[in-house]
Amino acid sequence: MLMPKKVKYRKQQRGRMTGKAWRGSQLSFGDFGLKSMSCGWVTNRQIEAARIAMTRFIKRGGKVWIRVFPDKPITKKPPETRMGKGKGAPEAWVAVVRPGKILFEMEGVPLSVATEAMRLAAMKLSVPTKLIIRPTPTDI
Amino acid sequence: MRKDITVAAESRGSRGKNEARRLRMAGSMPAVVYGGTEGPVAVAVSPKEVARILNSKTGHNTIFNLTVGGGTDTPVMIVDWQFDPIKDSLLHVDLKRIDLTKRIAVKVPVVTHGDPRGVKIQGGIHEIITREVEIECLPEDIPEQFDVDISELGLNESIRASDIKMKAEIVLISPADQVISHVVSLRAEVEAPAEVAAVAEPEVIKKGKKDEAAAPAADAGGKKAPDAGAKKAPEPGAKKK
Repeated sequence: MLMPKKVKYRKQQRGRMTGKAWRGSQLSFGDFGLKSMSCGWVTNRQIEAARIAMTRFIKRGGKVWIRVFPDKPITKKPPETRMGKGKGAPEAWVAVVRPGKILFEMEGVPLSVATEAMRLAAMKLSVPTKLIIRPTPTDI
Repeated sequence: MRKDITVAAESRGSRGKNEARRLRMAGSMPAVVYGGTEGPVAVAVSPKEVARILNSKTGHNTIFNLTVGGGTDTPVMIVDWQFDPIKDSLLHVDLKRIDLTKRIAVKVPVVTHGDPRGVKIQGGIHEIITREVEIECLPEDIPEQFDVDISELGLNESIRASDIKMKAEIVLISPADQVISHVVSLRAEVEAPAEVAAVAEPEVIKKGKKDEAAAPAADAGGKKAPDAGAKKAPEPGAKKK
């Protein structure tokens, strides 16, 4: 699963998720993409589950890019613990996602396959998403 | 590539995000025109007309005429644009005045045609690495796109920027060895091993000098180096609460 190799600090504060994803909001690699439509935390488990769902559906021939990296540690206190005694232990890694962020990209498969693969991937995520297709040029 | 299109623009005196929002609400879009001998001018244009040009086959390389406030036509080109990340509507464009007698550097899309031999027969995957190459030419000579035939591309073979057929008057600026597309062998999906009981934590980058530097100093004093997590002993003379 995706996680950083080295970190400066083991624990982080939660932070805010205001605004839109101005960076990483356009297709860069593939012909199809899955765009987040709201803000949220996407865990490394969700990213891995979505990636597996996509690659199993497209079987062979296509290529998948992951455009987010879970670099934020999330801590959790054990159950039935009284408050206080410091911050809990790191439990998971998440990627902070803002609306407009492209989460996955895909190439080398027809539209119908990409649509179904992205739908399966979207079901593994905790944020609402939409399919993005590279536009075909038209005559003026 | 020059097109016989005229886009009307109105000069705008107001600045700032609030005015820009009001402009967008009124069905217009802020833009700026610069380049050439004249100074920069803030204008308002129709987003529909600009989007039509951007989505055309010639795309952002289209040279069209801009009329500011009913004045004379100026040949311009879209050099930068900004989309809303959620609505995908155009927010702002940068228009550059073009001198039709001077060579300019532009990015032209590369379109691949055909099914590679390496995919059909040898079972590889075709990957497009670069979608645009940068060239230098006169504005009138900008091609719509570069077509590359990849039907003879075998496994582990690639098409590079130098392989693109160009007219003599066009100069390639992108690196000649830049890979446009290649056919690579399929990598088998490696199944991850069963979930490890305890998730390994990443290494924490420590502050200050390493222990190697501290160890000799501790040895010299005849004392053991203290642990990083150990509590500090109270200083002698400190007040007790």
